[in-house]
Amino acid sequence: MRVLLVEDDMILGAAVRDQISADGHSIDWSTRLDDAKGNIAGTNYDLILLDLMLPDGRGQVFLRELRAHGDVTPVIILTAMDQISDRIDGLNAGADDYLVKPFNLSELSARLNAVARRYSGNPNPILEFADVTVDLAERTILKAGKRVILTSREWVLFEAFAQRPGQLFSKSQLEDRLYSFDVEIESNTIEVHISRLRKKLGKQVIETERGMGYRLGPG
Amino acid sequence: MRKLHSLEWRLSIGLSIGVTLFWVAAAVLTGLNISEEINEVFDSALEETGQRILPLAVADILEREEEGLSERVAELRAHDELLTYIVRDATGAVLLSSHDAEISDFPAVADTRFETTDTHRIYHDSALRGSLTISVADPLTHRREAVTESVQALLVPLILLVPISLLGVYLLVRLSMRPVRAFTQEIEIRNSGDLAHVEAQNLPREIAPIAGAVNNLLDRLRRALEAERSFTANSAHELRTPVAAALAQAQRMISEAEDDNTKTRARQIETALIRLSSLSEKLMQLAKSEGASLVSEQEKDVVPVLEMITNDFRHLHGASCRLKVELPQGAVHSTLDLDAFAILVRNLIENALKHGPADGLVFVSLSPEGELRVQNDCAPLTSAALSDLKRPFARGETQASGTGLGLAIVNAIATGSGSQIHMRSPITGSDRGLVVSIKLAR
Repeated sequence: MRVLLVEDDMILGAAVRDQISADGHSIDWSTRLDDAKGNIAGTNYDLILLDLMLPDGRGQVFLRELRAHGDVTPVIILTAMDQISDRIDGLNAGADDYLVKPFNLSELSARLNAVARRYSGNPNPILEFADVTVDLAERTILKAGKRVILTSREWVLFEAFAQRPGQLFSKSQLEDRLYSFDVEIESNTIEVHISRLRKKLGKQVIETERGMGYRLGPG
Repeated sequence: MRKLHSLEWRLSIGLSIGVTLFWVAAAVLTGLNISEEINEVFDSALEETGQRILPLAVADILEREEEGLSERVAELRAHDELLTYIVRDATGAVLLSSHDAEISDFPAVADTRFETTDTHRIYHDSALRGSLTISVADPLTHRREAVTESVQALLVPLILLVPISLLGVYLLVRLSMRPVRAFTQEIEIRNSGDLAHVEAQNLPREIAPIAGAVNNLLDRLRRALEAERSFTANSAHELRTPVAAALAQAQRMISEAEDDNTKTRARQIETALIRLSSLSEKLMQLAKSEGASLVSEQEKDVVPVLEMITNDFRHLHGASCRLKVELPQGAVHSTLDLDAFAILVRNLIENALKHGPADGLVFVSLSPEGELRVQNDCAPLTSAALSDLKRPFARGETQASGTGLGLAIVNAIATGSGSQIHMRSPITGSDRGLVVSIKLAR
């Protein structure tokens, strides 16, 4: 997933960024709302982690504006404001979940995956096709009952297909997902990763639509 | 406690007694005046009568052929003779008397023209250089009757008027006090958290400053409560962010550390931070629970909040969650502040989960009447132990880790918000367990 973190505390932000990267997602980090608005204008995010008290404004106002413009990107609020009234206010503003600081990073990962699954239209974390079983919550893949290990970049790409079976992804959409891994994306990077996924999971796992992109295959 | 008197009642009674006394005094004075005037009129009539009869009597006596006779004037027709008279010579012998005259009623002729005996008012007059005197008597009962009848004629309407005037006074006072009554009623019926201005229209000038002062006080109270709320919220925010940062970094360190020693140390830091976070959290909650922001201005539905919090516990514990929750179908309203209610429920459930057996269920229910019950299994507690648990940092005989603040916070919120808290152990029908029930303030 491509995640936007909006958090002004540098120490907490760094830890959250590292956790999300380690979970295999790509992440951009803004410490201000205007910076976050710039990021959203240029990129399609799968999820936003939003602090509420930022140097240039309130997270709730930003979230309301986002929803008013028809943006349905899932948002998890990360805040030190724990009062139930703040929480109701946050959820009413359009948040999908609310995590009160201090939180366990593993709890954050679990919530992030749960919200993402809800938005993929497939809330069931277990996906099965042909002899492949994918557990999106546990991030494990079994092929013919045997565990298959993916690199974090391979997982990010495969997760995109698994979350939206049947959806066609353009090459640039897939490149976006790898963007924050701080590696240079060359013209054939996506082809290389798709090829590796096919080797590990079977040739039919990802189908190519010539000149259009890729989608999840029958396995 | 001293009995409170109604201002209306006191004004009505005071004004009525005052008016009655004034009227009674006026009636007495009028009665005395009437009596004096009646006496004057009667005396004048007596004098006129004496002076009119005397020449006739003298002529009658002088024309007699025989001297010294005592004659009684015959009555022309039967009637009650109120005025009687006698004519006497210089020796006091009665020469002439009216037909009903009782000689014994007439004392000897005095020097004064008017004289009062026990029974009569007497008028004396004389002719022929005092050789003949006339005494006319008017019975006092006749005069008293006249005075009594006059005073009665004055008092009877008064006796009828007094209750009417009392009723009038009462109605007038009640009408005048209507705005004051409306003002006090508005204060009486509002809940303790309602800090909106009190309606002060049409109040009398004497009461209007009180309403102004009350509204100013409400404004100040609202500002103070908002400041308290904002301080509690901001302090919590400022404290949580660095703890969250340190905890997140410690957890990253656990994930990234390659040697066991560093991992162990990072875990120790994580444990200490979680403990610090939990303690600061509880202290914040205790500060809020002992503050004044426990009651909201309007009643609010607590069911969604209870649902949200029990879902948090389910989320946190997943499939192993030991909560059994029973929620009412409809809304349950309470004046208890929703944030305070959330703290109360969270502490009750945490407490029950922590101190119950590891595989024991915790029952949470809210009745439509607003009674929240949290019940867990545990060894029975004595009543002394139960009341100890309500004190801060009292931990009872449990082996479970905790701050010892949970039930103290619950107790402070319940009592501070006017909710009734009741703890019972063992549970009815069992020899074990603890049930905490709270009747939410309305």
